[in-house]
Amino acid sequence: MTTWIRPRLRKPLVLALAGTLLAASWIVRGGATWWFCIAIEIPVLVQAVTMYVRAGQDSDEGALAGSRADERQQQIGLRSRALAGRAMTAVALAGLIAAIAVHGNWWWPFLVILAAGSVGYLFGLSAYSVGAEGAATEPDTGYPAPL
Amino acid sequence: MRNRVREQRTSRGLSQAEVAAALGVSRQTVISIESGRYLPSLPLAFRIARYFDMTVDKMFDPADEEDGS
Repeated sequence: MTTWIRPRLRKPLVLALAGTLLAASWIVRGGATWWFCIAIEIPVLVQAVTMYVRAGQDSDEGALAGSRADERQQQIGLRSRALAGRAMTAVALAGLIAAIAVHGNWWWPFLVILAAGSVGYLFGLSAYSVGAEGAATEPDTGYPAPL
Repeated sequence: MRNRVREQRTSRGLSQAEVAAALGVSRQTVISIESGRYLPSLPLAFRIARYFDMTVDKMFDPADEEDGS
């Protein structure tokens, strides 16, 4: 879908689109806080332009932002996303524990985030292990797995 | 694992950017490979070896790992 968009533009555009949708939600919500959409949209657009500028730089960060990362840079991006996922999971777990402990009724968003992470991880194991590499070519001989 | 990328590159008078462009990787990746911080994938290792007219085992020396150091 994004192949016709210049690589350098892809991630800034996705960021701008996501931020605009978030800003639009404040307009749809209506009421006295409608102007929050402006407070969100301006920093998002500034961030998108900054990302576009950085995407043109000769650096690992620039290559990732510009969707032209080589194998090492893709590995860096993958490890960074894994770290972000771990941080998100830890915060969601802490939030869930806190919500339960104080009898808060705001526990379920944390549970949804944890469930989405768990399902995503299991789906990844399935898709990238057997799904991507195929089934074993020899039957299990019962030989013990290496420690 | 040691490698001879820097040695081969400098002996041919090439810049890191030129080697990177020829191999289809970034300059930062060439720097990381030369300094031994990044071990390239097998396809990239073959590309590097072919680019410098060497074999992979001549370009990459696993002696350090075999010694356990």
